[in-house]
Order: sequence, then structure tokens, then C-alpha cells
Amino acid sequence: MADAVLATSGLNVRFGGLLAVNDVTLECRRGRLTGLIGPNGAGKTTFIDAVTGFLPNNSRGSVLLEGEEVFGRSPHQLSHEGLTRTWQTLELFDDITVRSNLDVASRRLSLGAALLDYFRPRQRAERVEEVMDLLNLGDIAERQPRELSQGQRKLVGVGRALVAESSRILLLDEPAAGLDKAETEWFGAQLRGLVDQGYTMLLVDHDMGLVLNVCDYIHMLVYGQLTASGSPEEMRNDPEVIAAYLGHSGAES
Amino acid sequence: MLASLRPIERAGAAALGALAVAWVVGALLRRELFFDPVLFGLGSGAIIAALAIGLVVAFRASGVINFGHGAIATYVTYVYVSLVSDGQYPVPPLPNPVAPIEGIAGIEILDFPTFVSLGDSMGKVPALLIALATAAALGLVAHFAIFRPLRYAPVLAKVVASVGIMLFLQAAVVLRFGARAKATEPIFPNDPIDVLGARVGQDRLWVLGTVIVITAALWVLFRFTRFGIATRAGAENERFTTLLGFNADFQAGVSWVMASVLAGLVGILVAPITGVTPNFFTVLLISSLGAALLGRMSSFVIAAVAGLMLGIVDQELFRLELEWDWIPDIGIRRALPFVVIALAMVVRGESLPSRGALTVERLPEAVAPRITRGRVVGYGALIAVAFWLTVFAPFQYRGAMQNSMIGVILALSLVVVTGYVGQISLMQMALAGIGAFSVASFGTQAGVPLIPALTLAVASGVGFGLIAAIPSLRTRGASLAIITLASGLAIDEIFFRRTGWFGLDRIVKTTDPPELLGIEFGPNSGFVLSDGKIPTGGYGLFLLVVTALCCVAVMRLRRSRLGEQMLAVRANERAAAAAGVNVAAIKLSAFAVSSFFAALGGTLHAFNLGTYGHDSFGIFASLTVLAFAYLGGISTVGGAITAGTLFSEGIGIVVTNEWVIDVGPYTAYVAGFFLIGTAVYNNEGIDGFQRRQFHQLGAWLRRRWDRRVEVTADG
Repeated sequence: MADAVLATSGLNVRFGGLLAVNDVTLECRRGRLTGLIGPNGAGKTTFIDAVTGFLPNNSRGSVLLEGEEVFGRSPHQLSHEGLTRTWQTLELFDDITVRSNLDVASRRLSLGAALLDYFRPRQRAERVEEVMDLLNLGDIAERQPRELSQGQRKLVGVGRALVAESSRILLLDEPAAGLDKAETEWFGAQLRGLVDQGYTMLLVDHDMGLVLNVCDYIHMLVYGQLTASGSPEEMRNDPEVIAAYLGHSGAES
Repeated sequence: MLASLRPIERAGAAALGALAVAWVVGALLRRELFFDPVLFGLGSGAIIAALAIGLVVAFRASGVINFGHGAIATYVTYVYVSLVSDGQYPVPPLPNPVAPIEGIAGIEILDFPTFVSLGDSMGKVPALLIALATAAALGLVAHFAIFRPLRYAPVLAKVVASVGIMLFLQAAVVLRFGARAKATEPIFPNDPIDVLGARVGQDRLWVLGTVIVITAALWVLFRFTRFGIATRAGAENERFTTLLGFNADFQAGVSWVMASVLAGLVGILVAPITGVTPNFFTVLLISSLGAALLGRMSSFVIAAVAGLMLGIVDQELFRLELEWDWIPDIGIRRALPFVVIALAMVVRGESLPSRGALTVERLPEAVAPRITRGRVVGYGALIAVAFWLTVFAPFQYRGAMQNSMIGVILALSLVVVTGYVGQISLMQMALAGIGAFSVASFGTQAGVPLIPALTLAVASGVGFGLIAAIPSLRTRGASLAIITLASGLAIDEIFFRRTGWFGLDRIVKTTDPPELLGIEFGPNSGFVLSDGKIPTGGYGLFLLVVTALCCVAVMRLRRSRLGEQMLAVRANERAAAAAGVNVAAIKLSAFAVSSFFAALGGTLHAFNLGTYGHDSFGIFASLTVLAFAYLGGISTVGGAITAGTLFSEGIGIVVTNEWVIDVGPYTAYVAGFFLIGTAVYNNEGIDGFQRRQFHQLGAWLRRRWDRRVEVTADG
């Protein structure tokens, strides 16, 4: 338990009569790439929304970040705590450069910091440079997201989530959506590389191929409930997984 | 049914119920105090209700909250009145293509007729038909020329376009018919009748009946017919409706025609009762916006009932204020629309149904100013010209420069809040007014020296701005535009129109000229370089320094970390939150900075005017500021500077008047026209247009150069 960066227990999300996430208890260990799979509508994105504080009125349960209860905090507070996320639909800031996209997310802006920065020209944020090096974003730093390829945009999204001051865990929401097979493989390798350097991530996707190839441990969500968990090998042979998932969309993987 | 309501809605329903019971008891005890006002209120309530359902029709058709709805009613009503009384059909003011030549050469070549005569006077029925046909045409133009091209545009562009319609049509009315009130012969029988012992004008009941019939008809149309169902589906999801074989475009067009005809009909029916002035319906429209919001812009019945209730409550308050002396006289009656809209926001949340349109176009680009040698030279030249115009030029240019520089500061207030953070504020002149009235109170009345008096006045403006910004934490887009408009109206009604610290001395407010270190430098004060005419250059010089500092401050804001976070919030609020941006704090700080510039502009405006009333700071002034700021370019400092030259009696206008053609009376009309054009075809305003032309010119020159080099090399 000690090395769980993120641990949810009894997480519920209810929309009116629909229980979209039902009593989900899972943990993401340090330095691991944990996968969360499930067919469309299983509640994967809702789970991320709830963990990152976007559903304050609909969710209930407990979210521990390195042992500290963070459930009920607002999204921007959680981001400062090092719990960050990406979006399936990217949601980049389209009007500002890639560097500014990362800059915005790089540190907390208190009133004092804002005033100081306003009156004394800023220093370059080292963390931003570091992440840009890590993801090879240097060449596109001064371009606007709308000018980039889909794969590059995904990477900017990851960069923006990684750049938070005290990044502890990154929740990736369907990062492979909209990428072709080659791009997905390339992207998976990038993620694997980051994890091997010590980052902790939760990868949510319905692309079984990607998840089985790069994750260390996998959970499966069906109709809001965790139905199976295990290593990629175990999941490949789990009858639950095959029935609920591979049975329908095995062609995808 | 009650169980499905949220707690706050249940509380609201309970409060309404309690009020109703109290009213019934009161009506039984004192009929004349509680029952009669209801009857009178139904008359004005019917107008509010009718405008409200028109708003709902237009919103259902195209997701636009039409701030120009009242102006359409006004224009059509004037057409009708003109036809009935003189048989004259107005020709909208058209641009005269040879006007510049005429102006320069001092000759007259071409004149458009202002009216087409259709006989001496016309019967009511043909006049009504022609006027309503005009309304239908306006609806078609509004749809095909304006809102159809704006289908996928950001809300800001739609709001601005509808504000443009409002300014344009109102200006057309003033140009053709003058600003005076008009009356016309009754349409309905108007002898009073007895209703349960109270005497009411029969015509009001006729109007009420008409509104009820129309509401019922619309309800049936949208609920049960194929057309209505398809329109409702189209509002939910345009793509699927289109795939199902419905022509969403046709439906939207028909709805716009319906909305306009409805607006015109209401105007014509009530004109005999109330008379009509150029902004009568637009002021009423604010109440209607409240009613329509309570119906979530989608329920005809709720909107109509809420409109009627507003009329009733208004009359009831009026009666009670007369009867009970202990009710504080704070203008609560006139601020009623604000109260209703604020309640609607709290109770119904931010839940304006958003349309699932295919894509949303981009917002105007907020270019980060870069310091290059060329720019430094350019700005230097600009300041030199401004300096010359402010200090040495003939007096009319000096005065124009002062107006323009104040305009720049006011436009900067919108660049920050609307350009950078995307929050539409229609209350900037109200905040300016807080600065203007309080600087006289602090300075002239309380005798505080200039610097602290300015500081206190601007701080008051920021305080008001922050309070008015609270709804922005829950709402955005068009709803925020509505509530800021209503806030501006409330500030005007509660403070500016009455004697007080933030209001008038008696009829007007007067401020002494500014004075620093014993030197007085008001627009009329003596000045070393004076040519003996006012305004003297001293105040202009002061304004020049302040304006330049403000421009630099906003440019730096754009480049700062805070500015980047503002743009992040504008681009995507939830992604900004996920990236660690405190969205609420950013919005509030933007409103604070914006209020700072607005209030500063207001205080400077006050010194410039010397003596001023409430009308300089009313809602129409706020709408005009937004119009000019958007026209200049809402998201850049260059845009604000451009906007300043366009302000009424600003340098651009005065130079045009002196050198090209006297546009004076047409300023609002032309501004409205170009505002619509800017919103539809070029959302970056004049500044963005110039920037692009400049880049294209540069690219073209470079290509030419390259080709020449190639040719030379080949040769």
C-alpha cells in the first residue's frame, strides 16, 4: 500500500438515476503504468472526471493521493497537488503557443507571484524547458496548437499535464483516440519511456492493443464496476475480459 | 413534480407560494391596494411577455439572444405610425457613393429620397400589413445576412451582432423620425370597463388577450406540428436533424420571420396606448430578457407568465411605495429586471441550453505585442502626432483628441475582460459612471486632493465591478451579457438618477477641474501654450500621459503570466482548471483590472465634461462602448487605440467631418452597420484587418523582390 500514489475507494458517480461509476476501488503504484480498460460507456472518463474534481455534485467516495485524502478539492487545487490529467478531446489552449500552453500549467500563480511577474519580467520556467526536452517539443515551441498534427497535439496535451510543479500522477484519457496504428505505437513508446524514467500514470483507453502492450497492471471497468484486474498476461486470458470486451471488439486489437 | 426540483428551486416555489397567499389575504382586506395594481400591471406585463416570447422564438431557431429584438419592434412601429398618419414609407438611410466628392467639392450631385409617399394617410389595415411585411423582411435579413453566417461563431460575435442590430435600427429611427415620442390613433376600443369593480382601459385587456392567444398558438406550433418538433430537435442537435432530412436553415429563417413579425405586431398594438420613443422597447426588453431567462429561453408559457408577473409586481411596488412611506426609496422598482435576472441565474443555474452546433469558430486573436525596432519607431511617431494634435492643433482637434483618449481607456477595459478572458460585459459605462460621480463627490464636495480622490473614485469603481462580476463565476456567454446589462441598468437607476454620493448633486453633477501642486489643468484652465481657445492643451497632455501608460500596462499584461492564464481561461475553462488555473480568481482579477480602466476612464470623462448627468453613463452608452471597442479590435491594444479614434466626437470622426463629409448625425447608424459587418465577416476588427493587410503587403513585396532577384540571376 505504501507505494500507491493514487488510491480510490468506494468511488461512486451518480447522474440522476444512473450509477455511472459504482463503488470503484483501485490503486496506481509508483513508477508504474496502470491501465483502465472497458467498452464504450463503461464510465472510464467519468471516473477520471470524478477523481480530478470535475464532478463535485455527483460523486462520492475517497481519493487518496500519496495517503492524503484529496476528495472534494477543486480541479486546480488537485493540479497543484500533482494530480493532473489529459482529455480525450485534447482541449488545448488554441490561442497561445505551445510554450505558453505549458507555461500556464507549470506553476501556481498566487496574487503576489502574478504581481511580481508583471512588474519584473519573468525568468524562463526550467520545468517547462525540461518537459519540452523530454517530449521533444522544442521545434514546435512557438507554434500554436492548431498548426500541429494530431499526434503532436496529443503530446502537447501530455506535456501540459506533466509540467505541473509537483507532478505525481498523470491520468490519460483515451490518448490514442484519433491516432492511426503507427502513431499509436509511437505514442505508446513515448509513454513507456516516461514511465521507465519514474513517472506514474493511469492510462484509460479502449484500445486493447495499446493497453496490453505498454501497461504494467490493468483494471477493467464494465457498466461502472471493476470486473477484472491483473497483469497484461492475466487479462489476456481472463474469461471476464474476453466475454465483456474482446468478445465484441476483439477485431480492434 | 415538486420532487424533481432542486432544493433551491423548491425554496423559490415555496417563497412564491407564500407571497401569493399574502397577496390574496391583502386583496381581501384592501382591494384597491392589492387587487387593482394587478389589473393595471397586466397591461405592461403583456408587452414584456410578448417581447419575451419573441426572444424565445429567435433563440430556439438559432441559439441567439437577440438584443436587437426591441429595436425591431420600434422600427416597425414607427413605419406603421408614419404610414397611418402621413402615408409615408421611410427609406432607410443609404450610403451616397459620391458623398466624398460632394463634400470636398462642396456640391450636391445625388440625393436619396428619405420617404416614399403612398398617399396622404393610410387605413390601419394596409398600414399594418405593410409594416409587418417590413418586419418579415427584417427577420429574413437578420437570418440570412447575419445569424446564418454566424451559426458556428463564438457567442461573443452573436451578441455583438445583435447589439449592432439594436444600434443600427435605433439610429435609423432617430434619423428618419427624430428622437421625440410619437403617438397614434387607437386600434382597440379604449373606453374603460369595469372588471370586478375596478376601472381598466379596455385596450389593455385586448392586448393581453392577443398575447395569450399568440403564446398558446406558439406553444401548439412548437409542441405538436412537424415544423415545431423539427425546430426543437434542430436546437438540440443540428447535425442529426439535418441528417434526418430537415432543412434546419429553412426552419431558422421561418422562426426569425415569426420573431420579427411578432415584435412588430406587439409594437403596433401597444403604440396607441403607451406612445413610442426610439428606445422604449429596448429598455423594456431588459425585463423581457429576465422573463425569457426564467423560461430558460425555451418555454413560451413560463416566459409569458414571468413577463406578466413582472408587469404586475412593478405596478404593485409602485402602489405600495405611494402607500407605505417606510419603504426605502431606492429605485428598486426600476431595478426589478436586474433582481429577476439575478434570481433566474441563481435558481436556474447557468443552464441555458447550448446548441450542439457542428464546430465553433475561433475567437479574435490576441496577438502578443513584440518589441521590434520598427514598432518602437511606429509608436514614437504615433505619440508625436498625438502630442501635436493634443497641444498645438486647432481647438476642435484638441477637444477630439481628449474624447478619443478617454475612449481608448474605456476600450482597454473591454480588451482585458472581453478580449483576453472572453467575458462579455455590457456595463462598462456604469462602472465609468461610478468613477465619474464619485470623483466629484470626493474631490469637489469633500475637498479631497486630486490623487487620493482619483484613487478613491477608481477603487469605488473596482468595488462595484467586483460585486457585479460575481455572476460571472457561474455564468458565461450570452447569460453573462444579459446580467451585466441588467447590472448596468440597476446601477443607473439606483444611483445615477438620484441625488447622492454615486449620483447627482440635484439635476446634474459638477466637478472642479483637476489640480496638482497648485496647478489647475482642466480642459478650460489656462495653459502656457494656449491660443486663447478652449479646450486648452494642459488637460490633453495629462490625458496623453495617462493613456500611454494604460496602453503599455495592458500590453505588458498580455505578455505576463497572468495574461497567459487569462487567455487560457478564454480558450477553455475546464482545461484551464485542470492545468491548475484558478478560473474564478482569473475572472475576478480580469473584472477588477477592467473596472479599474472603466472607472479611470469615467473620472477622466468627468473632468472633461465638467458638468454631466446620468445619460452619459446609461446602458446605451455601455452598448456603444462595446460597439466601438469591437469595431476597433476587441483583443488588442491597437484595437483599443483604433476604437478611441472612432468614439463620438473623437479624432477620427472630427477629421472626417472637417475633411471629407459631415458624418455627425450618421455616426451611430454607420457604427451599427459596421459593427454587424465586423461581427459577421471580420471578428478581429479594424486593427486585425490592418495587421493582416500589412502582413500580406509585406509578403507580396517579398515575393516581388524574390522574383526580381531570380530574374536578375537568370539574366
